[in-house]
Amino acid sequence: MRAAASPAGVRVRVWDLPTRLAHWAIVTLFALCWWSAESGHMRWHLLSGYALLGVVWFRIAWGFCGSETSRFRNFVRGPRATAHYVRKLLRGERDGAAAPLGHNPLGALSILAMLTLLVLQTSFGMFAVDIDGYASGPLSRWVSFHTGRVFAHLHAFNFNLLLVLVALHLSAITYYRVVRKERLVPAMIHGRKDSRSMLPAPYFAPWWQAALLAAGIFACVALVVHLR
Amino acid sequence: MRFRPPRRLTRPMHALAISALLAVSAGAHAGTASLQQIVHARQEHFHMLGRTAKSLRDQIVRSHPDWTVVSDDAHRLQQLAAQLPSWFPAGSGQGHGVKTRARALIWRDPRAFARAAHALFSRARDLSRAAATHDRRTMLLEFRALGHACGSCHSRFRAHGSWW
Ligand code: HEC
Ligand code: HEM
Repeated sequence: MRAAASPAGVRVRVWDLPTRLAHWAIVTLFALCWWSAESGHMRWHLLSGYALLGVVWFRIAWGFCGSETSRFRNFVRGPRATAHYVRKLLRGERDGAAAPLGHNPLGALSILAMLTLLVLQTSFGMFAVDIDGYASGPLSRWVSFHTGRVFAHLHAFNFNLLLVLVALHLSAITYYRVVRKERLVPAMIHGRKDSRSMLPAPYFAPWWQAALLAAGIFACVALVVHLR
Repeated sequence: MRFRPPRRLTRPMHALAISALLAVSAGAHAGTASLQQIVHARQEHFHMLGRTAKSLRDQIVRSHPDWTVVSDDAHRLQQLAAQLPSWFPAGSGQGHGVKTRARALIWRDPRAFARAAHALFSRARDLSRAAATHDRRTMLLEFRALGHACGSCHSRFRAHGSWW
């Protein structure tokens, strides 16, 4: 291990594997959902949609029972703390040694907004009625044709909101890279950061906990999809 | 073929739509006032088509479909498909100052449009025949083919929404 006094700080483990996998799965599946909807490959659209539905719920559950840096409790902050952080950010101040390792308060907002819209997007899709090829969502049987069309329109509208959030997310990452010289993307890949934090190492949940949770959630998704 | 008035035609909205349609087929060309009615009636017809197809699909995705509903819906789809070309009198598409997604191409290439409409009719007829076998798997396949007939006509002749 390098000396704790080095200017860049020490290499510490920040993101656990389930969180990173969930993140990149969301990115990939989102792209797949988008492409398949655009090109009319509705079978792929529904399959990637179900997978995304599962991953999103997994990430939400992991935010309550996963590793410390993944838990909402540890990074979601109130408006006052967030405003304070934004002022510091604008003044160009860096995080002190007391700053927590995980997401900053702005990242937290972005995560909450994206997870919420993804839950809405996938839920609308489940009830959407399609008129161009009959790839209606698996729960559309429980709503009328008209209601199913309303869901399809909400699904299309909410997608635009998601695109806006994705654009914001990418610009924030670019800002941190260019202005603050912080490389957030590699950290989300290998899970480590240079940190000056003096706080004790965070708690990491065992991998089998993630595996059990994922298995449970995907079983539920399969059940809902086959609900007739 | 014996004519059975379709169950769902009894609603006032649909009666209105049908009478608008009859009015249209009576007079060859229409003014702007009735243009709106033509388009409205057409969209009502398409909603009926959509509702009927959904009703059929909702049955065949179940493990125990109500085959009476399935076969009624299949026949109704066939009837609607046969009428479909009459919902598009000349001058009722885009570019005539009325809100519609019917592309001008429909009237520029009437043969291709007629083929697309006929494809729907054929698929609906196959569906009616398959309904008699009470075989869900066949029905699901036929239904997918019907969906392709809707989708491929829409992709050519129905203008896309600007959801972005
Ligand atoms: C031969 C071409 C063709 C076929 C086949 C076809 N449609 Fe359409 N459909 C259109 C056109 C054109 C429009 C646009 C009408 C307008 O906006 O005036 C349309 C519009 C619609 C609408 C929207 C009406 C509205 O409110 O704007 C629905 C619903 C619909 N179609 C359902 C179906 C279904 C379900 C099928 C298959 C069972 C189907 N269509 C097959 C050409 C077709
Ligand atoms: C977050 C993931 C998803 C994204 C980004 C997404 C995106 C889209 C987009 C862009 C469209 C085209 C909208 C249009 O042009 O009208 C679409 C259509 C559709 N999606 Fe999704 N979708 C997602 C998840 C789902 C899920 C989980 C389902 C449920 C199985 C689903 C079912 C549908 C259906 C049935 C349509 C067709 C609606 C229509 O034809 O009007 N989607 N989706």
